Amino acid sequence: MTASTPLATTASNGTRPQPQRQPGFHFPLAKVSFYGFCSLSYIFLLSPLVVVVGASLHRGSRYTVVKFPPEELSLYWYTQIPDAHWEALTLSFSLAFMASILACIVGIPAALGLVRSNIPVKGLFSSIFRAPLQIPSIVTGVAFLQMYYLFGDLTGIYVNGTFAGLLLGHLFVGIPYVVGTVGAVLQRFDTRLEEAALSLGAGRITTFRRVTLPVIMPGVYAGGLYAFMVSFGDVPISIFLSAPGFVTFPVELFYGMENDFNPSVLASSTLVILFSLGLLLLMQRIVGLENLLRSGGGS
Amino acid sequence: MKARWDLILVPSFVLSFVLMAASQIIFLRASFYKDLGLGRQGEDIIFTNYGRFFTDEFYLSVLWLTIQVSFLAMLFTLVFGFPVAYMIARLRSRWAMVLLAGIVISTFITIVIKVFGIYIMFSASGIVNQTLMGLGILDKPWTVIGNDAGVVVGLMHFTLGFGVLVLYSVVQTIPRSLEEAAQIHGSNRWRVWTRVIIPLSLPGVTVSALMIFNMCMGAFTSAALLGGGRVFTLPVLIQRVVIMEVKYSMGGTLAAVLLISVLLINLLSIYLMTRMRKQRLVIT
Repeated sequence: MTASTPLATTASNGTRPQPQRQPGFHFPLAKVSFYGFCSLSYIFLLSPLVVVVGASLHRGSRYTVVKFPPEELSLYWYTQIPDAHWEALTLSFSLAFMASILACIVGIPAALGLVRSNIPVKGLFSSIFRAPLQIPSIVTGVAFLQMYYLFGDLTGIYVNGTFAGLLLGHLFVGIPYVVGTVGAVLQRFDTRLEEAALSLGAGRITTFRRVTLPVIMPGVYAGGLYAFMVSFGDVPISIFLSAPGFVTFPVELFYGMENDFNPSVLASSTLVILFSLGLLLLMQRIVGLENLLRSGGGS
Repeated sequence: MKARWDLILVPSFVLSFVLMAASQIIFLRASFYKDLGLGRQGEDIIFTNYGRFFTDEFYLSVLWLTIQVSFLAMLFTLVFGFPVAYMIARLRSRWAMVLLAGIVISTFITIVIKVFGIYIMFSASGIVNQTLMGLGILDKPWTVIGNDAGVVVGLMHFTLGFGVLVLYSVVQTIPRSLEEAAQIHGSNRWRVWTRVIIPLSLPGVTVSALMIFNMCMGAFTSAALLGGGRVFTLPVLIQRVVIMEVKYSMGGTLAAVLLISVLLINLLSIYLMTRMRKQRLVIT
């Protein structure tokens, strides 16, 4: 059984003591069942995505059942994506993009302030920054809707159902991710680097731009990516803050699911899957997956 | 010149604080008014909304169901997630990154899209039912959509990836050398698990479990879509009451109950964390 574990790999490098092998446990049954059990999680998590991508390639009329695995490969449904989907995708993308940029603009100073200042009750401050992650999104949605109504009653400006209204809600949940990831990087930051720059005559701004920013960049990318993906996939907040005819892509799909099913949604969903995949690969190229995870985990 | 980091904090803090305080106070205040229909609210502070929640069997059953499905989803997430987290944490090849990437991708893609896949798989002529009926395990199509099991599956799609990532960092805190020490002293794998890995990861797992439970309690999208309009958890009911019945006050009350239960669980997990730190149960 000993040989059957990942631990056995440590023995092969020769520097560590070789654990004793026990007689009778050489067959890899335990290993196979362990890895088999682990692969169940992967099947569970990834099979719906594979099915969506696969089924989107099946050419069939609107009235035939969706087929997986696809029998007749074609890109037919990709030509049938309705305008409403493209509009929703555009809205979702611009919303997520703006929300992640603004989350960085708000979050980076917040992380700097939290890590470096010596204000009292720092814990309280940081838990207020983290609070949006603790509040269930559906509560945030309801609360923002009511806030917008009250604001509208007082000033005559109703932001619910507008881009600004949606953006503020998405920004609210995006900020904690950036604060978390950038804060984590800053905690390991060697401040002597900055002192060196300053003592060599660089100004505060130059030091920040040339020393601090490059070092915290992995945290910024990670936090920005989290903020983007959370905004891009959000339903519970957007469902309250969008208006008929002005909905994000996930909300469009959410409502569409209750009505008549058209395989073109599989095509547009596949585009989103590929886009998310591409974005993740790009980030992996820029900062590396390990950095992406280490600097945060988000919540 | 010394940098004033506390001043840099101010604008961001004001924005975050105002957004949070204003939104929370406004909806909590609204939960004390009476719904007059069509979205209008009364003027007087009343407690009847809360009274109704805690006396009406329907609302209480919704709360109870939410707790039940959240607990089940949490349990399954731990059971299925922990081995994966352990496997990835102990792998020393490039595969670890690939496997992690698989988890990250699945958590990044919105649950709405995954639900399409689940619908197709579990449709009467879908791959799951065809296989199970072909093998003679089922004699008529079975589905997860519109029942409690479906909601648990949906919640797991929401939490499993996250759970693996959190548990991965828990496993990473257990030095590999401890397991090797146990093996050198003659433990078999089973004993290494029961006497080393599980006891050492228990504190971290407990805190992760509470986080996962909280996520489930507040999960709207997966519960709504896989409940198929027939299963009501608290978040699903909130959306329905606010959007379809336009009862902002009752919706506010439900949201307040959800918020408070989630916050209580959070306090419990913070309390547990500090206690474990004191007892040095957490290796950090």
